[in-house]
Amino acid sequence: MTDTDGETSVATDADSGGTASARTDGGTVTGRTGLRARLARVDAGRVGLYVTLLALVAFYMTPIETGLVTSFKTTQAVTETAPFALPGEGFTLEKWQTAFDVLIRGVGNSVLYAVPATIISALFGSLAAYGLTTTNLSGRYKVAVIAMFVAGIFIPYQAVLIPLTQFWSNVVPLDQLLGFVWALGINDDYVGIVELIVTHVAYGIPICTILFRSYYKNMSEEMIESARLDGASLRRVYRRIVLPLSTPMFAVVLIYQFTQIWNDLLFTLVLVATESSAAAPVVLILAGLGTSQEGTDFALRMAGAFLAALPTLAVYIAFGDEFAEGVAT
Amino acid sequence: MADLELDSLTKIFHDGDDEIVAVDDVSVSIDDGEFVVVVGPSGCGKSTTLRMVAGLESVTSGTIRLDGESIEDVKSQNRDIAMVFQSYALYPHMTVRGNMAFGLEESTDLPDDEIQRRVEETAELLDIPELLDRKPTELSGGQQQRVALGRAIVRDPAVFLMDEPLSNLDAKLRAQMRTELQRLQEDLGVTTVYVTHDQTEAMTMGDRIAILDGGRLQQVATPLKCYHEPANRFVAGFLGEPAMNFFDVEHRDGTLVAAAFEYPISDDVAADLGSTRELVLGIRPEAVEIGGSVTDEHHFGMTVDVVEPMGDENTVYLTFGDEATETNTLVATTGGMRQISAGQSVVAHIPEDAIHVFDRTSGRALHNRRVKSEDVAEIGPE
Repeated sequence: MTDTDGETSVATDADSGGTASARTDGGTVTGRTGLRARLARVDAGRVGLYVTLLALVAFYMTPIETGLVTSFKTTQAVTETAPFALPGEGFTLEKWQTAFDVLIRGVGNSVLYAVPATIISALFGSLAAYGLTTTNLSGRYKVAVIAMFVAGIFIPYQAVLIPLTQFWSNVVPLDQLLGFVWALGINDDYVGIVELIVTHVAYGIPICTILFRSYYKNMSEEMIESARLDGASLRRVYRRIVLPLSTPMFAVVLIYQFTQIWNDLLFTLVLVATESSAAAPVVLILAGLGTSQEGTDFALRMAGAFLAALPTLAVYIAFGDEFAEGVAT
Repeated sequence: MADLELDSLTKIFHDGDDEIVAVDDVSVSIDDGEFVVVVGPSGCGKSTTLRMVAGLESVTSGTIRLDGESIEDVKSQNRDIAMVFQSYALYPHMTVRGNMAFGLEESTDLPDDEIQRRVEETAELLDIPELLDRKPTELSGGQQQRVALGRAIVRDPAVFLMDEPLSNLDAKLRAQMRTELQRLQEDLGVTTVYVTHDQTEAMTMGDRIAILDGGRLQQVATPLKCYHEPANRFVAGFLGEPAMNFFDVEHRDGTLVAAAFEYPISDDVAADLGSTRELVLGIRPEAVEIGGSVTDEHHFGMTVDVVEPMGDENTVYLTFGDEATETNTLVATTGGMRQISAGQSVVAHIPEDAIHVFDRTSGRALHNRRVKSEDVAEIGPE
């Protein structure tokens, strides 16, 4: 910077004008003299930076904006206006209404498995991580167990699709085992929900365990030991010390797991299969929403997509503060 | 309240194929109500010893007996032992009240109101009743320290274990808490094992001190006995600040010959030394007298090399020749009002009744300073 002297004199100028606020480089200077000075100081690099940033914002926001405005357009408006243009004359809430009517059943079904699966996998992950960090299990065994958990994270969904259907139809024919439930008048399609819960819990435990483990490793060992000496058993230490202190990590894991499970299409395709099923999750219904032989109803698809994404957004907002704390540690 | 006995306690850690002996055959008997300070440099095994007593480390071999019953196989939560950690290890999500009640809730079947009564009573004793509803993060270091102590006291355990509880406090508070801890321990009369690396704490707090080095017990005795009659060179060098002066000497017909000087000894001292010739001569800095004139062979003309004024006293580094080397420097302390400056020539007197002589190979003390009869009563075992 060669204009340091100039800057200092500008600041003094502005001060004497009485309208200036104290500034360091990059701060704001108000008042006529300040404005003129600022314009004079605008350099190409800074302009380029802001232009680039604005372009990036536009790049990332356009699809969302397009989706949002499209969802409020009539079918006619969709074809007649540019995708990102405001609806104007062709504004309607009809598509949202339709999407809501069609999807609400699926949202209910999704909640039915996503919530329990999220909570159970987080809880199991936390318990497993506690066992792997605080107990005096020999280091050699710990490494072997942790290696298996880590390996579990990297098994691709696609690789287990066939074994999964085999498992649920041949090894554990849950459909038959739960015969007494269907006898109560509950649609036996809901076996898919139970299967989804178990499958997602099994698939979620590894990542949850690893996340909790890294958190528990940073927990004060002396505090745990102190609790042991205070007369608490391993289980009581978990219940009264470790679990209450895990809240931030639970927020992280709950948000992560919920989003994963809510958005997953593959397992639902395999375990529930059809959108006409009484137990069809929202993703399954959404996949077929607005598609027909007459063509694609883009407005309806957009409205549906936003509706289906709302619960994950709600979870983020609900656990936002804890999430930030958990990620920071 | 109980007596605690460590019998040939040994702990070996395995690091791959290496064996690390952390605690090596340590035996100490601690009487009911006694305050024993375990002291030693870092890595000497003092914390490991404490953790074995607490049940936080397994015992490789040996026995720990609490009131005559061996407890190595008892889980820590059932040992009736309370421990104060260096980091305080308070439960951050609980209030001070919750922290202090936790131990009683987990280890006893007392009704809630009785637990609350005891918590409040202990808070009163430690002068922290106004902190009861605060969380640990809202407390200062000194207050956290009190809560950690309170958490141990409220349980009224058989034994207190303290692992460097004062080392995170500033110097002034540390001195204050040192006194207060002693007072508390005396009032409560609970058997206490206190681990520290700070020799001031060791000297001032304990009924007895146990000095560890390299996992081995060097000496267990009253602080003054350890100071004046050290069992070996390690103890002599570890206790005392500035540390004892050591000179490698050879015994030749009633004279200890060092690289820089010769020191004749009387027949009494020579008798203690026996036939060992390779020796180490030790003299405490405060035993060296500066001033006067050369009247016998225990007086040496020396040059002042460096003076470190401490206010109440000066630490003076003297050299036998002009050049300071490792083998010819003698550290002495003099009164703070004495005027001594670097470069000055002085006469230093090393009185024969204050010298210690150690076997150079084994480090064992062969001869310790003579302690006057009135001191002996004080130093001797209680």
